[in-house]
Amino acid sequence: MNEKKRTIKTGFAEALPLAIAIAAYGLSYGVLATQAKLSLLAAVVMSLLVFSGSVQLVTVAMLTAGASLTSILFTCVLLNLRNLLYGAALAEGLTPAKKWRWLFSFGVSDESFVLGSSRFQKYGPDPLYFAIVAGTFYLAWVFSSLIGALIGNQIDPQKWGLDLAFPITFAALLIPSLTEKPVIATALTATGIAIGLEYVMPGNELTIMITGVLSPLVGLYVKRRSQYA
Amino acid sequence: MSRGGPNMLNHWLLIGFLSVSTYLSRMIGVEIMAKRRMSSTVRLYFHYVPVGIISALIIKQIFIPTDGQLEISFPVLIGCLSTAITMKIIKMFLPSVVIGVMIGLFTRYFLIS
Repeated sequence: MNEKKRTIKTGFAEALPLAIAIAAYGLSYGVLATQAKLSLLAAVVMSLLVFSGSVQLVTVAMLTAGASLTSILFTCVLLNLRNLLYGAALAEGLTPAKKWRWLFSFGVSDESFVLGSSRFQKYGPDPLYFAIVAGTFYLAWVFSSLIGALIGNQIDPQKWGLDLAFPITFAALLIPSLTEKPVIATALTATGIAIGLEYVMPGNELTIMITGVLSPLVGLYVKRRSQYA
Repeated sequence: MSRGGPNMLNHWLLIGFLSVSTYLSRMIGVEIMAKRRMSSTVRLYFHYVPVGIISALIIKQIFIPTDGQLEISFPVLIGCLSTAITMKIIKMFLPSVVIGVMIGLFTRYFLIS
């Protein structure tokens, strides 16, 4: 019982900085959705059913620019490709959830993946932790979308440093895992590949996916070489 | 604001498609991989995937495309570095994040006009 309480507490504490950052995104989404002529109801229902910052922000941006349904869908399928990798990396940690996995998989996103995978690697499978984290993010996302759609553009996330919460939380999560050579090699390779891809195609949608597929191969190589050396 | 009409219908269609395709991408990853017995190599590979992706996510926030060129966001870069150093020293999650955000904000307002 104590163990459960501790997990719930840790889940909230670790989700908090990201939930604030997600709320900042949610506010901007709500504002942009109304500018894209989505009704208040449609804007909130999209957050309830899709629950994806990148997909929703890209959608409203494309709607505003007058893009067709087909091109929006295609872009979003591309954006969602990384969820396959996230799901695959999280699968083992969610196995004890059994039938509930279908519900838990709804909570897979950049942020829940980062927190979940760090947790699983340190403490083994932990569906409860993932549920707390994903649930916190879901509430933050839905409510902030609603508020954003209601109040319009009155909050500047940059002024409050809310845009900094994302990368900084990720940095805080990454550092403790950089202990052995293969992991460090993976991180360095990923940094190199990501900078290279962004340099060639600034702001493209595939950087995360390609980096996520290629950089672990270097980690694997370094690990195997040290084993057989 | 106009109500109904083909535009409205399109919005609901879009929301329907997006929710189904997004959910499928999430579920396929979790379900298909959960049922497979992974070899030690595949398991090791997926052990390194998070590190690669987190690094890429951080890089994407530091290097921001502006007019087709990459620009470094110094508040983000310096904030991340401060957090990394703080985390190394004090090994406490929330305080490290708060210090990083504060130093990032300080950079934004005092070092970069």
